[in-house]
Amino acid sequence: MKKIYLGALSLLLSLLSAQAQDYYVYVTAESEDEVALIKFDGSDTEVVKRIPVGVWPAEIEGPHGITVAPDGKHWYLSLAHGNPLGFLYKFETGTDEKVGQTTLGLFPASMQISEANGLLFVVNFNLHGDMVPSTISVVDPESMSELKQVTVGTMPHGSRITPDGMHQYSVGMMSGELFEINTMTLEVSRILNLDTNEAIDPQMKDAQAMHEDHSQHSMGGDNAMASMSGMAHQHSATKPTWVMPHPHKPTAYVTGNGSDEILEVDLEQWKIVDRFKGGKGPYNLEISPDGSKLVVSYKSDGSTGIWDLKKKKEIARIENIRKVTHGVVISPDNKYAFISVEGIGGEPGTMEVIDLKKGKRLAYAELGKQAGGIAFWKMED
Amino acid sequence: MLAQDLKIVVEPAELTLDVEKNAQLKAKVVDAQGNEVSGQQLFFYSRKGKALEVDSTGLVTAHLPGEHQLIIIAPRTAGGERLRLNYPVKVNYPPISEIKIEEVPSQMYAGTTLRLQVTVMDEMNLVREKVPLKAISTDPSVAATDTYLNLKANKPGKATITVTNGEIESKLNINVIPFSATEVMLESDKDEARTGDVFHFSAKVIDDEGKEISDAPITYSFQGQAEDVSSSASGLIKQDGRFVADVAGMYTIMAASGPYVAQQTVKIMPRQVDRKIELVGKGSVDDKHTSDFWVWEGVDGRDYAVTGTWGADGKAYFWDVTNPSAIERIDSIQVDARTVNDVKVSEDGKICIISREGASNRKNGIVIIDVSNPREAEIISTFTDNLTGGVHNLYIYENHVYALSDGQKYYVINIEDPENPKIVSKFELETPAHAIHDVWVQDGIAYSSNWSDGIQLVDVGNGIAGGSPENPQQFASYAYPSGANHATFPFKSQSADKFYVIGGDEIFPYGLDVNKENMAAGFLHFIDFSDLENPDEIARFEVPNAGSHNYWVDEENELLYASFYNGGVRVVDISGELMGDLYKQGREIAWIIPSDPDGYIPNAPFTWGAQPYKGHIFYSDWNSGLWAARLEPETPEETTLESR
Repeated sequence: MKKIYLGALSLLLSLLSAQAQDYYVYVTAESEDEVALIKFDGSDTEVVKRIPVGVWPAEIEGPHGITVAPDGKHWYLSLAHGNPLGFLYKFETGTDEKVGQTTLGLFPASMQISEANGLLFVVNFNLHGDMVPSTISVVDPESMSELKQVTVGTMPHGSRITPDGMHQYSVGMMSGELFEINTMTLEVSRILNLDTNEAIDPQMKDAQAMHEDHSQHSMGGDNAMASMSGMAHQHSATKPTWVMPHPHKPTAYVTGNGSDEILEVDLEQWKIVDRFKGGKGPYNLEISPDGSKLVVSYKSDGSTGIWDLKKKKEIARIENIRKVTHGVVISPDNKYAFISVEGIGGEPGTMEVIDLKKGKRLAYAELGKQAGGIAFWKMED
Repeated sequence: MLAQDLKIVVEPAELTLDVEKNAQLKAKVVDAQGNEVSGQQLFFYSRKGKALEVDSTGLVTAHLPGEHQLIIIAPRTAGGERLRLNYPVKVNYPPISEIKIEEVPSQMYAGTTLRLQVTVMDEMNLVREKVPLKAISTDPSVAATDTYLNLKANKPGKATITVTNGEIESKLNINVIPFSATEVMLESDKDEARTGDVFHFSAKVIDDEGKEISDAPITYSFQGQAEDVSSSASGLIKQDGRFVADVAGMYTIMAASGPYVAQQTVKIMPRQVDRKIELVGKGSVDDKHTSDFWVWEGVDGRDYAVTGTWGADGKAYFWDVTNPSAIERIDSIQVDARTVNDVKVSEDGKICIISREGASNRKNGIVIIDVSNPREAEIISTFTDNLTGGVHNLYIYENHVYALSDGQKYYVINIEDPENPKIVSKFELETPAHAIHDVWVQDGIAYSSNWSDGIQLVDVGNGIAGGSPENPQQFASYAYPSGANHATFPFKSQSADKFYVIGGDEIFPYGLDVNKENMAAGFLHFIDFSDLENPDEIARFEVPNAGSHNYWVDEENELLYASFYNGGVRVVDISGELMGDLYKQGREIAWIIPSDPDGYIPNAPFTWGAQPYKGHIFYSDWNSGLWAARLEPETPEETTLESR
């Protein structure tokens, strides 16, 4: 009897404990110029705060990428449309007050902070027309100064860093390349052409980038020439949009938004070793901290896929409430995936919460228009 | 070993360098006892690499003077956490190398004054500001100086003025000659006028033989008494003799040369251009913000308007405005966008172009619409090449679209075949972090508004600089210090025979809350571009606490229709020569504010733009939609002017 009583008490405490767990997530609304802080209590969501952001009030400035510092004390936001250079903002978590900013490149987007040196790596997506190589801005978050711009591919996206903080990965969406940057030397260490599965010499790439830098062209006749040259550029068939290294293995996963597949890249061999066909237009992906599951947003389908990485099999696909599924983060306890969905036109954006074990949506929150960047802040009892 | 017991130490502990000098840093990680921790790699970063460079070994090279900082990081320590040290480096300013005294006459007349213009250079050949200077005269009884480098010629003779900073000095030999002037003569083109009318005074210095001393310096000034006892008799006088008064009253203009002064008093009467304006009609948009608009005569002879929407669902609305008192919404187009910021219609009234921002697929671009029948507007094509980052403003002119590309440049797009638009050129500045906000084309000249790079005049077919749509050629520009150039409109003044370009600010000192009332700031800058090589900012129109936005010039009637966010539409008399503060001068003819209790944000006027059209004024408001008003006709001009 005593045993049964203690067992029941333990179960009750466990349930109470599980119910008391709150999860906090930040989501950007790119066409609303605001960031929302959302709380999920295990069953329902609450938009705790909507934080207006921006510099030029009468224009859409496009808060796009967002990340929370490893110590959880600050969050960082990229504003895509500046004047014309975009910005990185630094906010204090809790108060959500802006405490710093710096200027970046054209259309800064996704970002992450290295655990190794504390530097922030943000891609300058450069959605501005000419198909030319763009850069990764390396920012010191403490002083909010841009230390360097590292030239990578055309329309770089998906800045993700290995757990040891030593390597940063991004993909050139239109050039179809995977880039590895040594986060300590701030140099490109390896490039992989994702269309041909061939490594590219970074020094050769540098020379090509200098050749293609149309920003050096300007007024008069050169203006016409520059635009023509830009239009003639070949676009990648793979059209990679995201990359994430596995938390425990020397493997990275890339979304082939153009080829409708997920690519598995062996980081030691530096080549694609497997391809998974999923939904249409895979865009962002995230791997659970325990390394067992991969969650991918199918942008064109408006759905989310959950993959078992051991079986290399999609185990669930969830139709999202609205169209244009965007970003993914997973809670540190591996239980939930938080998905941002942009919506179309005047529709509100949404953040959906998916139970990774059940493969089902548990709750959602309505946000500002074009919900995109998403970052997990904290779990709280 | 605990992380808190470890730290990075650097030799030397402090570093000061001269420009283009270098130093080798030796950095290591030490424990609490000061013993070096082996195997610990350190990485060096500069917060401003162009000013202070550091390589992977810690070799520091100074490029620019100032207080700089290096960051030294040990990524992994025996304590398990990274270490960081912020290491300041001072780079000395190069010594002053030269003091240049600019524009000095070879001789000065006794009794006259001038201010020395001085430029200080350093050894890097950079201009140095705020350098303390001293000026000493060898003979103050001949020529004396003061703290502000004013130089007064006291009596005939020679003196040397030495301007110094430390050991660097520059000398100026002054030859003071007798001033044989006996009087200053002053003339003007009129002796009475209205506020805002520009006088042209002309002064000359006459010697004891009745001859003019043509090189004698002359200073113009004025004092006055306003008619209204509580007003200041304000105005503006230029040192070429131009004078304008802001308020009615009596003004005395003085021309001085040394001890000789001439003066002339003029009478200023109120401008009295006020007219009544009445609200005629409204096309309400109460469920979202409204942006720009365009009114045109359709191919069927009726009158139509198109309005954009802001931060909403990508709609553009079409209106029949033939009867401005009964504005009727007749159709709408919805595109994949959150903001349709700008809308324009071709000269023949058949093609409408709208801009897209916030498209779901981030391929923004422009949309080309057939408005031959605005009641059934139809999309002809969507064009996104090189415009994916967003089109904030655009213009249509002679089968070409001028479309901004994400606030950086504009593309010129041939739409002779509107189903297949093609880029034929682009215009982009070379300045660092250049930006652009708007472009307007008139008489083959594209006037772009480029924030801190100011107004750019580009020949796109006028011929003045050999330009064409395929080969845009910039030929003139002007930037003002605030860097807030947001809109531009040309004005060829027939009455003044001058070519003005009006540059408008957009400033939100308190930000913008899309769900509440807002406050804006900024004004219109009038730049005289008659001499393209030397544009001269000569006048302003500023409505207090309102904030300028878009505007339109009626050249035939020399009227300005200016929208001010918080101040509604302002109709301004811009006839004659322009100078000074046009608002204070009473050039405002009428104003009307679009306040709507049923607006998207009720009773919160935020006027976007204004366009005169067939005897009415149409204007759009961010919070309430499209409006129409009518300005009372001008009363016949009186033959005599009377003071109030």
